[in-house]
Amino acid sequence: MRLFIEQLLNGIAMGSIYALITLGLALVYGVMRILHVAHAAVFTVGAYVGLFIFQATGSLALAFVGSMVACAILGVVIERFVYFPLMKYPPFVPLIGSIAVMLSIEEVCRLVAGPYILTFPAKLPFPDIYAGGIQISSTLLAVYSITAIVLFFLWYITTRTELGLAMRAASQDISISGAMGINSHLIVSITFVLGSAIAAIAGILVGIYYNQVYPTMGAVPAYKSLALIVVGGLGSVSGAVIASMLLGVAETLLIGYANIPLPRDALAFIAMIGVLMWRSEGLLGSSR
Amino acid sequence: MKCIKTLLFVLMVCIFFAGTSGAADTIKIGLLVPLTGPAAADGLSVQNSIKLAVERVNAEGGLLGKKVDFISYDDRMDPKDAVALARKLIEQDKVAAVVAGSYSAPSRAVAPIFQEEKMPAVAAYAVHPDITKAGNYNFRNGFLGMVEGKAAAYVAVKMLKGKKIALLVSDNDFGRELAKGFKYYIDKYGKGTVSIVSQQVYSMQEKDFKAYLSKIKEQNPDVIFSSGYYFQTGPVVKQAREMGIKAHILGEEGADSPKFLEIAGAAAEGFVIVTNLNRDDKRPEVKKFLATYESRYGIQPDMVGASAYDAFMMICDSIKRAKSLKGPDIRAALAGIKDYSGLTGLVKKFTPEGEVVKDVQVQIVRKGRFRNLGVVSDPDIITP
Repeated sequence: MRLFIEQLLNGIAMGSIYALITLGLALVYGVMRILHVAHAAVFTVGAYVGLFIFQATGSLALAFVGSMVACAILGVVIERFVYFPLMKYPPFVPLIGSIAVMLSIEEVCRLVAGPYILTFPAKLPFPDIYAGGIQISSTLLAVYSITAIVLFFLWYITTRTELGLAMRAASQDISISGAMGINSHLIVSITFVLGSAIAAIAGILVGIYYNQVYPTMGAVPAYKSLALIVVGGLGSVSGAVIASMLLGVAETLLIGYANIPLPRDALAFIAMIGVLMWRSEGLLGSSR
Repeated sequence: MKCIKTLLFVLMVCIFFAGTSGAADTIKIGLLVPLTGPAAADGLSVQNSIKLAVERVNAEGGLLGKKVDFISYDDRMDPKDAVALARKLIEQDKVAAVVAGSYSAPSRAVAPIFQEEKMPAVAAYAVHPDITKAGNYNFRNGFLGMVEGKAAAYVAVKMLKGKKIALLVSDNDFGRELAKGFKYYIDKYGKGTVSIVSQQVYSMQEKDFKAYLSKIKEQNPDVIFSSGYYFQTGPVVKQAREMGIKAHILGEEGADSPKFLEIAGAAAEGFVIVTNLNRDDKRPEVKKFLATYESRYGIQPDMVGASAYDAFMMICDSIKRAKSLKGPDIRAALAGIKDYSGLTGLVKKFTPEGEVVKDVQVQIVRKGRFRNLGVVSDPDIITP
């Protein structure tokens, strides 16, 4: 039982990290119907910028803020200069553009910071908790807390503010919402700002969690988060979060109990195939 | 504009002649090494170490009355690149011998080319068995998985006094060979007294080991053998300590890197590896190398660099003894090496298959550095 609970806690932490990375992708798909693969590169940039600010100032708070601002700007730049001009073409054109952006950003990171694994020796200010023989380490607690804060903030914005109303309207139908007086291009940009800032948080968190920052750290998240938004229901933010959590827990339990040497990443795609066969609109997607 | 064109032309002519002149009075030794891509840190360590080796040989009067130099190409850890670059080393640069200073995948791809062209090649640290199987022109200065697995088991049982051992190995040829060697030793020497409580295999992309470690924690072993590169073992050690696992953790040469110490941080303390470089070696040439390397490059040396240094020096030593630059002569001299004193210990000989026979070094992390813990010299363990 103790082992099961520990594995569950490990799985939720894994799922939280997936959720933070996938959120931005789901948000962007919601309003633009674009598979924003380059989001994973924004995540990598977030980790690097956070690391450099941390090294320069020693302040983790500044690292988070600075990295979120940098990534928000990067997200908007990608939207304005890559996606917006490509919107008039069929959806695979922006997708190809996105892959190109992703690879370019990866290479820029390599050229600027070198090909090495850098370490992120910051300590997140959380305690270790022991309860009934079960230990929740400070890193797990940090991941839970930060994810919870981000999810709450996002929930508040999308459901309790006018901006959220506009975002939801834009995601239902961007041209009608434009006709209703919503500045839809502004909404798209704000979505990129939000998604990219969350990616920055995810980047720093992953960097500290594994104590590694390197140019290709976005490669696995890039394709995994694609599978996750399909499983969650394309464009559904809550679906993406639920899918991330389920996947994190399922992977961890599978490794913990079955010990089949199947790469954990394969599971996301098996789930994706299963969902597409059984419920092609995804867990929470609406059939359109 | 015209001015720039002329300048460019002059520059090109200069480069062209710079590339061809001075070829006659230096002996060139080729080096394939990953300087970009995921293995870049190891590649740089190899290249830096070889620079020190070249300086030493030339300071000691060179070879056959000539200076020695190396020509290195970045294979980016890519077999396709490595094949083209191996051809370039042989056909264009006309090197006398080659140090294969890269990982297994590229080194395996180029081994048959060296064989075909009768080009003596020493793989510095690549571990795949196929490299030396390409033929008698290919030698290896690193341990096979089987040898290192047996040595690790010896350390776990004899030095760390393990009774309950958990294995956590990477899902590649090397990881599986290590596990095989480890279990072979336990079956042979530890029957009834030592038990392997679990064997888990993790995929190469794995970053999060908590699921594996929770299981290990439940089984409460006294030694964990965790194979893998520093970017895998580093997180394993760090996460295990975070989770409150107190068992000894034992790794292998993949973790022999200053990067391991950086990634694992304070958790690295007490971590043990089987490798081939002893940081507390008393011999003056080793001390000098360790000190020079650290002061020049500002980072601690590792087994990858030291192995490449030895590979290079053994080639030079063979050229000297062969008194020839012909491939077959150098090959014969390499095959006849006996008790060569290298940075990575005394090279007793190469087996007829080209595998090195030398002691396995055991190192432990103390105060953020690898230190000597012991040595495995039982011939039954170290002979491939």
